[in-house]
Amino acid sequence: MEEEQIKNAVLAYLQKKGYRQAELAFQEEDLKSTSSSFKTDTDIANQILRYSKLDNVPASYKEAYSKLRNWVHSSLDLYKHELLRILYPVFLHCFMDLVAKGFQQEARSFFQNFKDDYETLHLRDLQKLEGVLSSDHLQEMELARSLRENKVTVKMCQFSFDLLLQYLHNTDSSLMLGVVNEHINLQVTPGQPTSWSDDDMGPLLGKPQEGVSEVNTKEIKWGMLEDSLEDKAEKELAGEAEKAEAEGKEAEGDEARKKMGEAGKAKKLKKDKVSGTAGKSLKTETTSTNSGVPRVKSELPMAIFSEESERRALDDLRNRARLSSSALPSVSFYTFLNTHNSLNCASISTDGAMVVGGFADSSLKVWDMTKSTEQHSSFSSVRLWNIPLTANLVCYKGHNYPVWDVQFSPVGHYFASASHDRTARVWSMDRAQPLRIMVGHFSDVDCVQWHVNCNYIATGSSDKTVRLWDVATGECMRLFTGHRGMVTCLSMSPDGRYMASGDEDGAIMLWDLGSGQSISPLMGHTGSVWTLDFSCEGSLLASGSADNSVRIWDVIGSLKPPRIEEKNAIRRLRLLKTLPTKATPVYSLRFSKRNLLFAAGAFNPAKKL
Amino acid sequence: MTILLKETVQTIAQSIGINNLPEEVAEALAPDVEYRMREIMQGAIKCMLHSKRTTLTTEDVNSALQLHNIEPLYGFASGGPLQFKRAVGQSDLFYVDDAEIDFKELMDAPLPKAPLDTAVVIHWLAIEGVQPAIPENVPLEAFTPSVELKKIDTLLSKKKDDEFGVEVKLPVKHVLSQELQVYFEKITGLIISRANPSLIKAALDSLATDSGLHPLVPYFTQFIADEVVRNLDDIDLLFSLMRVVRSLLINPHIHIDPYLHQLMPSVITCLVAKRLGRKSAENSAPGRKFIDNHWDLRDYVANLISFICRRFGRVYHNLQPRITKTLLQAFLDPKRAMTQHYGAIKGLAALGPRVVGLTVLPNVETFLKHLAPDLSMEAQRSEMKRNEAMRVYGTLLTAIGVCMTSRLKYFPVFFLPRTWNPGGQGKIVTARRTVVSNSLSDSCTVSQLTNTSPRKTTTSADAQDSQPMEIECIGHSYHSSMSTIELPSQDVKSDAKIVVDVSGMDHSQHQSQDMARSREQVEPSDSDKAIFPLSDSWKEDVTLGPLFSSLIDLFGEALLPFVPRTELNIFL
Repeated sequence: MEEEQIKNAVLAYLQKKGYRQAELAFQEEDLKSTSSSFKTDTDIANQILRYSKLDNVPASYKEAYSKLRNWVHSSLDLYKHELLRILYPVFLHCFMDLVAKGFQQEARSFFQNFKDDYETLHLRDLQKLEGVLSSDHLQEMELARSLRENKVTVKMCQFSFDLLLQYLHNTDSSLMLGVVNEHINLQVTPGQPTSWSDDDMGPLLGKPQEGVSEVNTKEIKWGMLEDSLEDKAEKELAGEAEKAEAEGKEAEGDEARKKMGEAGKAKKLKKDKVSGTAGKSLKTETTSTNSGVPRVKSELPMAIFSEESERRALDDLRNRARLSSSALPSVSFYTFLNTHNSLNCASISTDGAMVVGGFADSSLKVWDMTKSTEQHSSFSSVRLWNIPLTANLVCYKGHNYPVWDVQFSPVGHYFASASHDRTARVWSMDRAQPLRIMVGHFSDVDCVQWHVNCNYIATGSSDKTVRLWDVATGECMRLFTGHRGMVTCLSMSPDGRYMASGDEDGAIMLWDLGSGQSISPLMGHTGSVWTLDFSCEGSLLASGSADNSVRIWDVIGSLKPPRIEEKNAIRRLRLLKTLPTKATPVYSLRFSKRNLLFAAGAFNPAKKL
Repeated sequence: MTILLKETVQTIAQSIGINNLPEEVAEALAPDVEYRMREIMQGAIKCMLHSKRTTLTTEDVNSALQLHNIEPLYGFASGGPLQFKRAVGQSDLFYVDDAEIDFKELMDAPLPKAPLDTAVVIHWLAIEGVQPAIPENVPLEAFTPSVELKKIDTLLSKKKDDEFGVEVKLPVKHVLSQELQVYFEKITGLIISRANPSLIKAALDSLATDSGLHPLVPYFTQFIADEVVRNLDDIDLLFSLMRVVRSLLINPHIHIDPYLHQLMPSVITCLVAKRLGRKSAENSAPGRKFIDNHWDLRDYVANLISFICRRFGRVYHNLQPRITKTLLQAFLDPKRAMTQHYGAIKGLAALGPRVVGLTVLPNVETFLKHLAPDLSMEAQRSEMKRNEAMRVYGTLLTAIGVCMTSRLKYFPVFFLPRTWNPGGQGKIVTARRTVVSNSLSDSCTVSQLTNTSPRKTTTSADAQDSQPMEIECIGHSYHSSMSTIELPSQDVKSDAKIVVDVSGMDHSQHQSQDMARSREQVEPSDSDKAIFPLSDSWKEDVTLGPLFSSLIDLFGEALLPFVPRTELNIFL
């Protein structure tokens, strides 16, 4: 019985490999030694049998995988989530193996069987991979190719690792063992198993993960722009404070004068509190929050402001409302009515007087709140508009594919664009060609944002990463991974130290640019996050989403150094307030210079069927 | 295996002129076509996301095609969904049913209404973190944070307070802003003090239109409930309160649903209370009428109740049945006062002719019998009581009449006056009251007669017949989809019994009349058929003729104005 099976298995193997002569020889041999002539070792026999089973029956993938899955799900809770991490890559590779071997039908049914496990976390990837049905597609598709060419790193503790190995050996699932061996880089970390929330499996990146840590060690000058308006305002305020101090010096005595130079701030703070004028204490506190931030000189030539505009800006700074977790901003909402689903983007000027909407028919409409003008733009080019003239001044062509996002630098005449052609470009207004091209993303660059000191730009992409680029050199300085979907918006904190990014799943991540570490994820939105903005002193973060709400998060509270207890304590940004809108997805948010929050969106009432 | 079958590929190939695509080629192409299609759809989703939309449109697909350097699909977009039709003789071949449109027709058609232009409006979403209650914002309590969020919140608060603390649910705080408190006091003060009517009107308008009043709703319901109980003798105040209820109900920014159960008792009280307003004796103030006009109040409240049922009946399925039940009890209880009967009938009438048909009609005869003594000059001495009874009679007549009109509208065919007997009403005098008392006393005497006289065989047979009908009646009220009334089974039985009695009487009345008057006009077979029209009257498909004629017998000519012209000429 068994021998018959073995013989058949060997024959099948020889046939498959095309060893004609060996096959003939084997058959001859077989005929000669009629019956139980070759006494095979049982071990070898088993091996042969298993090999034949494994190779010929694509169902074995399903079987082995479901066994592994059951085992993982029934394992101890302590180790379960670590073991769960390997399931997804194993699942993907099993599927791709089946596809590569040409078992279309089996691959499809395998995929359908198990995809539910991962749909919550990896919906977009699954949608992409679902269509893959031949090995050609595997080659063609970016995601599949990078998955197959690179190993995925999975971290787990020693004990989990041992458990896994033991299981794979004991159950003779050499198939799974092979998959794990081939495609997964198991990284054993010392100590206790890590907790759930700490790091769920990040996105499966094309690039080997080692590169990330390397990139992220580069030095970054994240400080504020030197000699910026804020800087000047601070100096001016300091001057004022000095005056105030001088007035009060008779009462205070001579020591005050001595200290005035350095410790003036603290004193003044006290004094202001005594005097009780809200405006003053406000100013002093804003200055004190920013005083610890280093100043960085921009490497780009900066524009020079006229005296008048500078004065106005300083005026704004002086009248800025102080916001904190206990003092929430006022929100003024600009609702677009009757858009018939054609509004694509909207933006508001910093003083809130003008609002512009970009529509699906390539028209721009600017509302001055009294009169309205119309303008048009087109595909795969960037245009510069002059609003007073309502005329198109320049058309910047350079991208080969649609441009998804354009941002002006905070100071100066530069702007950056992000495009479907996987590049981001930096332009100067006076040149029709880009100055720098940032290449490195694996997929579309969906959004771009300038750093406050104009030396860096950040880009968010469909490959679920955010990168920080040096404008001067065009080099990639930081690579942030952790998002589970397309990155839809970015925002920089005013002190230049932190960056927030939102994705299509509704998660918001906060990053420390200096260390390249994720600080805390913000969960709460149920729809794509379309827009983010920090308040002027960086204490609050506002987010607008497709789930018809504006949310306000406490940044300072969540930045506090983690308590000593444990490093894996859950640290999430505190949600301060949810402001629901009436069936109006929020397209754009902007804090004015005086800390009034402007929001814009298109009213989109649900159609009654 | 793939979504696309190889047959589909072959069909598509045929449509572009490749007639003999080998099967293997089709088989190899199918997965690739599927892959490309998915690729394009993913591109389309990307375009959708960049347009900040959540619905995929055909333009997105076109943009995705352009992204892949494929020529987009040209042509006009049709407004509606595409109609696919099965090709004749093919089981799996479909084509788009493209209707040919005459060009001339298209040119001659009037221009469609231009869509409204895009506009921008500004409002305050929040002022220092607090959302003002204006119509542009979401109503305050309608928004509930997602479960997930709550979880995070509790988690956070736990973390903040105590690492191992127990989850403590804080009592719900209901903070009423200063402005709202002042507003509430002003409104209630106005209503109680009975200030000048224009002020009250302004207050009611404000209640009916202002947004942001939602937090006050529980206070208002409590206020109304208290004041109604306390001031049953003050008709003006009750009227004002009911107007407040109405204003609250029509305010689009208020979600009054959760408080409806608190409001309803007060409202129903104002409809069926035994006594509303002051006693006549106390009414010594000059210029006042004989008695407070509580009838108007009852009318107003009846309309209010019908409004409530119309507006909230969909949400609360047992709302109308419960109201109907309450009213029906008041109507059926012979011990209740005339005013209560009036309210009950008025309320049932306001709920619509169908309700009247289901509840009032089957019981009308019993009720009239009960009413008769109060109507007649001899039995009821008190002018006031008689007046009340007349009002009840009037409203009953109106309710039945409207019910009949609506039925006649739907079943004009069935209308055949079989037992119409002009001779029977021959002696009716023009004055209505006398007519009624005459006919009623007439019928009473007749029934007395028939009660004493030995019954004929036909009647006893009919009495037997009525037994299964009674059961059917019970069954029907539970099963029929149209009947919204749930009567307690005892009620049904007692009703049915009454009905049986009544119908017996009715029948005998007919017979006696028949015997007394012209025998040749009414065949005996007809009278057999028209025996129990009223007890059957809740059925939709009942023959209207006999029913109507028996009603005419009860009410006399007064019912005729409710008959539409065309049907009326049958009588003439």
